Amino acid sequence: MITRPSVGHDILQRFEGNPIITLEDIPFRCNTVFNGSVVKDGNRYYHLLRIEGQQGYSVFALAISKDGLHFTVEDKPVMVPARKGPFARYEARGIEDPRITELEGIYYVMYTAYSEYGTRIALAKTEDFYHYERIALVSEPGNKDGILFPEKIKGEYVRFDRPIGKKIGSMWVSYSKNLVDWGKSELMMTPRSGMWDSFRIGASVAPIRTKQGWLEIYHGVKMTAAGPIYRIGTVLLDLEQPYKIIARCDEPILSPRKDYERIGDVGNVAFACGAVVENSGEIKVYYGAADTCVCVATSDFNELVAITLNGKSS
Amino acid sequence: MPRKKRLDIIHRWEGNPVVNLEDLSFQALDICNAGAVKIVDTYLLLITIESLMGHKSLYVARSTDGHYFEVDDKPFIKPSADKAYKKYEEIGVMDGRITPFEDTYYITYIVESNHGFRIGLAKTDDFEDVTRLGLISAVDTKGGTLFPEKINGRYARFERPWSGGRIWISYSDDLIYWGGFEALLSPRPGHWDASRVGDAVPPIRLKDGRWLLIYYGIKDTSAGPLFRIGAVFLDPDNPARILARTNVPILSPRKHYERIGDVPNLVFSCGAILEDEKLLLYYGAADSCICLGSTTIDEIEQECVKSKGEF
Repeated sequence: MITRPSVGHDILQRFEGNPIITLEDIPFRCNTVFNGSVVKDGNRYYHLLRIEGQQGYSVFALAISKDGLHFTVEDKPVMVPARKGPFARYEARGIEDPRITELEGIYYVMYTAYSEYGTRIALAKTEDFYHYERIALVSEPGNKDGILFPEKIKGEYVRFDRPIGKKIGSMWVSYSKNLVDWGKSELMMTPRSGMWDSFRIGASVAPIRTKQGWLEIYHGVKMTAAGPIYRIGTVLLDLEQPYKIIARCDEPILSPRKDYERIGDVGNVAFACGAVVENSGEIKVYYGAADTCVCVATSDFNELVAITLNGKSS
Repeated sequence: MPRKKRLDIIHRWEGNPVVNLEDLSFQALDICNAGAVKIVDTYLLLITIESLMGHKSLYVARSTDGHYFEVDDKPFIKPSADKAYKKYEEIGVMDGRITPFEDTYYITYIVESNHGFRIGLAKTDDFEDVTRLGLISAVDTKGGTLFPEKINGRYARFERPWSGGRIWISYSDDLIYWGGFEALLSPRPGHWDASRVGDAVPPIRLKDGRWLLIYYGIKDTSAGPLFRIGAVFLDPDNPARILARTNVPILSPRKHYERIGDVPNLVFSCGAILEDEKLLLYYGAADSCICLGSTTIDEIEQECVKSKGEF
């Protein structure tokens, strides 16, 4: 049976200690901290954070935790925009929104490279979360929200991406044999007019395999007269052909409501970049709030899948 | 006495337009542009024609002299009913470009749906039967002019992603998976190509080894866009390196058939044929007819590159 939180709350339950990482936790001067991706390796949580420097462009810093709730941020950024070599011209305005995927024992990071040429999806890998080896820029400009699947499907690497077609930001699935050259893009999911995700959508968290399909936590944007509202939603996808939707939840699982989600550089934003499913069955969803701090919210993972399959929480 | 300057570096054929609605055996809304190739003694165009329903398809037209064409009455490539393609091309297929490659002809074209535009790839040996190979770009990437030979062992193409309005180059081992994208040519603020640029004609290998890319440039005005045509010379070994770029357009809309039509003030090419030193440029005018202009490689070089726009 699905238990439903009381009226006025969200499907995800916020941690009472939110926000878990703020400017006060960063050992160096910067503008904001947000949109971090998390993996659990043994008993440690590695949290790759997006930090916007005082100059205005973003870099990545590393935070480490033993409980997934209380993090210590390393003294220096671990990855900064390339200033020489083939990546430099496409990262001149920063690197953004890292998403870590463990695949065949390697940690890959897909991130957004930003420059005068636009936003592009870039791919790097790491073994220790301190050192990053860039692999390639893997999209044309105007694309972002690239996330690698944690397994190959039918022998091919798979990713989500979010190009803009006729001004509509939909989610697509693309394929590769070598992680560098990509193709066979298929449209997966479009915004839904009249709903909370009516303006634009994009992948947020590396897809999680379940018996019922891939669970994907995505972000949906509704445009208002005062600007966008970013919420978090879920969809279940076919395991073999992940551009096919099995079920899409009508309701967001988290909406900006708290002051730390409503007030900041970009108000009314809850934007997930990472999640950890614990052995206990709990899922921790990490999200940036108002482009200014990092928060966590939880749910029973099976319940989240059930709600998604059901299409709504009641 | 100084030679009188002609209107443009591309000299219009006095019999223009080459193909208009009266030349078709069926009714249509408009005629947009054409890819071009010469096969032995036959000049062949692949013309984008918009049906009365508003859906675009590609039609083959043939000629023995390059001036008078017979247009097929059935499309060569039309929006597919095949499930794998239908949702991406339900509005139309357009802008066919022909690249001779070894023993076959590749055709790149643009598919359109409510989700946006993508580049499609097909091949044919005879322009009778055609095989679709796939859709080979992200959405809202247009252009897609394929090189007629491999570059450093890889297939290569130009393309125009919507974001930034630039021409990019990319590479592939198998024509299906593409990567190595690099920005090549950007709009120039204050110039005739200030707003957007895009690859027009598939790259042409010149006798001296250099690559010639004929591109289109757009300047937005308060009355809408002005589409003109320019040229770039590229490094023989590395076409991602620009050697020279025309300061002035080689063709601008001036004639009534270029100024009046469904999309006025537009010249837009998808194909050219190089015969020795003479370049035959087939171009769509005002999205309403196909025209022909000609020039020489030397003239493009003299007037555009060396003059540095002194007129």
